[in-house]
Amino acid sequence: MQSNRTRAVATALLAVALAALGLAGSAQAKLVGNYTKFVQCPYPNLEVKKCIYSVTESGEVILGKKTVPIEKQVILQGGFGAAIEEKEGAEFAKFYAATNGITLSKAPQNVPGGLLGIVPDASSPFLVKALIKFFLENSLTGVNSTLELAKPASDIRVSENNLAGEIGTAMQMPVMVHLENPFLGKKCFVGSATNPITWKLGTGTTAPPAPNKAITGSAGEIEFLEEGRILVAKNSKLVDNAWSAPKAAGCGGILSFLVDPIINSQLGTTSAGYNTAILKGTLNVASAAAVRKNNTENP
Amino acid sequence: MRTKQTAIGAALAALAVLCAMFATTASAAPAWKFEGKALEGTEVILGGALDSALTVPGLTTKCENFLYKLTIKNEAGTGKGEVTEVPLYNCTTNSSACTVKSIKSEALPWASKLTTVSTTNYIVIEGVKVPILYDGEECVLGGVLVTVTGSAGGAIDNTAETATFNASTLTATGTSLKALGQKIEWNGLFPTEAFQWHREQALSVS
Repeated sequence: MQSNRTRAVATALLAVALAALGLAGSAQAKLVGNYTKFVQCPYPNLEVKKCIYSVTESGEVILGKKTVPIEKQVILQGGFGAAIEEKEGAEFAKFYAATNGITLSKAPQNVPGGLLGIVPDASSPFLVKALIKFFLENSLTGVNSTLELAKPASDIRVSENNLAGEIGTAMQMPVMVHLENPFLGKKCFVGSATNPITWKLGTGTTAPPAPNKAITGSAGEIEFLEEGRILVAKNSKLVDNAWSAPKAAGCGGILSFLVDPIINSQLGTTSAGYNTAILKGTLNVASAAAVRKNNTENP
Repeated sequence: MRTKQTAIGAALAALAVLCAMFATTASAAPAWKFEGKALEGTEVILGGALDSALTVPGLTTKCENFLYKLTIKNEAGTGKGEVTEVPLYNCTTNSSACTVKSIKSEALPWASKLTTVSTTNYIVIEGVKVPILYDGEECVLGGVLVTVTGSAGGAIDNTAETATFNASTLTATGTSLKALGQKIEWNGLFPTEAFQWHREQALSVS
């Protein structure tokens, strides 16, 4: 009796374990070849029509008086649906977050000039000056700038027609800039979820307010793979220089009331016409149906 | 006094040379001719491409019926014209994933002119605009409107009475067609046959 019960329990546990393995197996994508890039695309969701894997390899972000070159790869991945939202004369599609939750990779970029570049010793109050001295003495002067999504990925919008036609906004993204250094603390941001920086990136020519001048992006060199199921745009250039940014906030921990104004004074005016985003890289787009098919064909 | 006369003579000679040069340039501009005689008034060329394909690397779009209507005339000795109609039907791609949902010619008429580059006569068509809407669930361009724009120059073959458009003829004429933000290839062979007043007459450009 005891033996039968034990066997039944063991069998049940084994079944549960196998089921769990099975589920884990089905969740694990089995993409091969040119489709492997799209492993984090939420393609099982039938609302997702296209998968995207965009690698920004270079470029720069100019925020007021500060220029941060993009030296480390930034990856934007996920999917987008059918173009259903009409805005600014174009149809935009809703974005779907990457399945691993990393829609926009966090790649800390070096801020030229480091800590003294954004919190100059000379113009700082005594307390700030003393703290900076400590950080300088301990070689903690490097400052990183990390681009982060300010809102859920579902707030990103994509216009394929504008991307293809090199006109208007191809991708609208709510972002914030995270300034990182032990002195600045963990909550030093330009932009927030409630007051994000809204990039309207395009591949055409911008029409920014002065003093910025028009700059031109590019769809890049396009090639179709897998008989038109995948599009690869090398040397693409997404640009926007008409965006505004809020003031930096939360910098310096409890001293933010002292540090924020110093940083903002160093950044200078960050209203529209003073900022620029130039993202150069490779854009990979695939039909989600083709990715799904590749997944089922390669168990 | 003699020096003055010489100077005037030289100036007149230079002027004469300049005039002759301009006259030569004007007469060298190619014109539409029927049976070797310059076209007077207008004529209509109507036909269908014998072969035509638009290619972005990895994706070629072809139309079974690529018809066109071209009105031609000579203006000050130079062949000109207007492409007034370009109905496109039964268009397909070389991809098993992509179909052509719609394709049409826009911004008509497209101006055209004849030009000579290194002894070869070309017809240059300007203001081309062809939006193509692709479809197909597995097609990455599904639902995307791709618009072909620009100008294209095609080499005229008086013997075969055709105009050939390809990468070489576009380069030779300094023209280009763009789609998806880049130059695309257009290969096409078009017969040049009069349809109105000069039917069955040999059409040439010189």
